[in-house]
Amino acid sequence: MSMSDKDQDFAGLGAFFDAARAHPPAPSAELLARVLSDAEAEQVWITRRAETARAAPRAGLLEQLYRLLGGWPAMAGLTTAVVAGVWIGTALPEGLSGSGEAAYLVDITPEAVFELAGDF
Amino acid sequence: MPFDAMEDLPDDALLARFAEGDAMAARILTLRLTPRVMAHGYRLLGNRTEAEDVAQEALLRLWRQAPEWRPGEAKVSTWLYRVVANLCIDRRRRARGGNLPLEAIPEPEDGQASAAEQMQDRARADALQSALDQLPERQRQAVVLRHIEGLANPDIADIMDVTVEAVESLTSRGKRALSALLAGRQEELGYVDER
Repeated sequence: MSMSDKDQDFAGLGAFFDAARAHPPAPSAELLARVLSDAEAEQVWITRRAETARAAPRAGLLEQLYRLLGGWPAMAGLTTAVVAGVWIGTALPEGLSGSGEAAYLVDITPEAVFELAGDF
Repeated sequence: MPFDAMEDLPDDALLARFAEGDAMAARILTLRLTPRVMAHGYRLLGNRTEAEDVAQEALLRLWRQAPEWRPGEAKVSTWLYRVVANLCIDRRRRARGGNLPLEAIPEPEDGQASAAEQMQDRARADALQSALDQLPERQRQAVVLRHIEGLANPDIADIMDVTVEAVESLTSRGKRALSALLAGRQEELGYVDER
């Protein structure tokens, strides 16, 4: 079948297609309301999800720290240990504060004790 | 941005605004896309109620897709034609026998159909719809996309996931079948024209 034959066969269809385009089925007001309602509901959901996603990294870090330390009791224990460590490190015992006494303790050796005993 | 200026924005730009929570974008997209989507569904299904359900479902999928939509990558209309076609195919397959009864075709709409010319046009549109309903699914889809929606063959090939040659073959066979189906009605509709 040549092209012109085809065109001739289908020529009558043009008016039907034109008519279909000229008379599209219009959506009902109810459908438009349903679609808009879906759109608005979905928009609220999308916005909420986006806000949660924006807030999530900060909350996530705090959550991770909390879990890492084992909760607030563990954090209190850790704080106590840190404070105690600082205190021990900075406040020397009173008995070790004099330089002479510190030297005495360091100089005494077992060999020296045996030599002294042999003299008797 | 004022409503008039927003109305000129392309679909994908409006969809991006929709995803950012712009209520006006939601309204414009609804008014712009619902008639198109519903009409396409009607032409594929031949049933107004089902076409409205398909339109609502297709657009709901679009709203959900909005945050992930990449502007310029795909045309919103092409995406919608594909979704509508898939939803219509699912519905037809669920329906017993795969075809809706001819009685399901709605009556011409009420309202402004007073002039003889309009009546004839409507009668033609209805006759075409009745004939379309009798075509095989793929032929119907190709003919509707090509000759009613006015899409180019490459776009139709993209929507239907076939080659351009396959589209040409489908539309050609579809039109031949329509011609045969409408042959008797042309005389009948011509008679309406003369009254």
